[in-house]
Amino acid sequence: MPDRQLYYEDVEVGQAIPTLVTSVDPVQMFFFSAATYNGHRIHYDRAWATEVEGYPDIVVQGPLQAALLARAVTEWIGGAGRLVRFAVQNRASCFPGEELHFGGTVTGKREADGAALVDLEIRGAKADGQLLMPGTAVVALPRRGDG
Amino acid sequence: MTGEEPLIPPEVAARVGTVVARRTGVVDTKEFQRWAASVRDRNPLYFDPEYARAHGYDDVVAPPMFLQHVTLGVADLDELRPDGSAGTGSGNLTFPRCPRRMAGGEDTTFFAPVYGGDVITSERRIHSIEEKRGRSGRFVLVTWKTTYTNQRDEVVAESTTSMIARP
Repeated sequence: MPDRQLYYEDVEVGQAIPTLVTSVDPVQMFFFSAATYNGHRIHYDRAWATEVEGYPDIVVQGPLQAALLARAVTEWIGGAGRLVRFAVQNRASCFPGEELHFGGTVTGKREADGAALVDLEIRGAKADGQLLMPGTAVVALPRRGDG
Repeated sequence: MTGEEPLIPPEVAARVGTVVARRTGVVDTKEFQRWAASVRDRNPLYFDPEYARAHGYDDVVAPPMFLQHVTLGVADLDELRPDGSAGTGSGNLTFPRCPRRMAGGEDTTFFAPVYGGDVITSERRIHSIEEKRGRSGRFVLVTWKTTYTNQRDEVVAESTTSMIARP
């Protein structure tokens, strides 16, 4: 895998991180529920999700939305970057087959306790712009010339 | 006037501040790799020991967002809620007037890497239980604070999570 490391010096406030565009299907949802030991019916029992809980379809797991958003961040920061803090709110549900966008924007840079930190506003949204998961993250990046 | 009865039963409100779960789990490399694969997250830090060592780790490292799943218990299928969810990790809080539950949010700070074989203990405490009113009506917001510690008593992460229950 090519490894293009991001450095603290390369980042500017206002810069967008690359958007991860994806969609989730019931197979991925099944594997994620298995990997997280999640038996909640709204994620696999369509009759329960629609007839009992009133959703239009089975519901993509909130932790899967969060994991995809974290993936967008950790793919951007590279192997020498580190996710320090990750905070999100579940604002809306999404469903299999919908196009989803996970990305963010740099809101600040600071050096604290010897670490070079970057503050991010992050978001998961549907293709039409409906906000699914707003949040913030802090990542630590290497500096050019470190180690 | 039944609509204005409190959504939070008094016996549930009384549990604010208490520890609802203290559990231990061993980190399994294959489990966190399965988790990463289910996210289509093929980060070599999670899969390639040589790559991970070249980036300052001792071995492949667990994805940060996997940590919350390490200490999940074993569900008794006869004790699940009707919606199939298990309440054992969050204190089995019941809100009979609010059967529809969904995750509210999470805020986690990660302090140290987590590896296969690490023994993680999570201690979860109820931070608050509040009745709120939003655009779509009344709901209950429950907030927990969880500390994750490894076998060397190092705090590897601290997390605040919340859940919304609606009528």
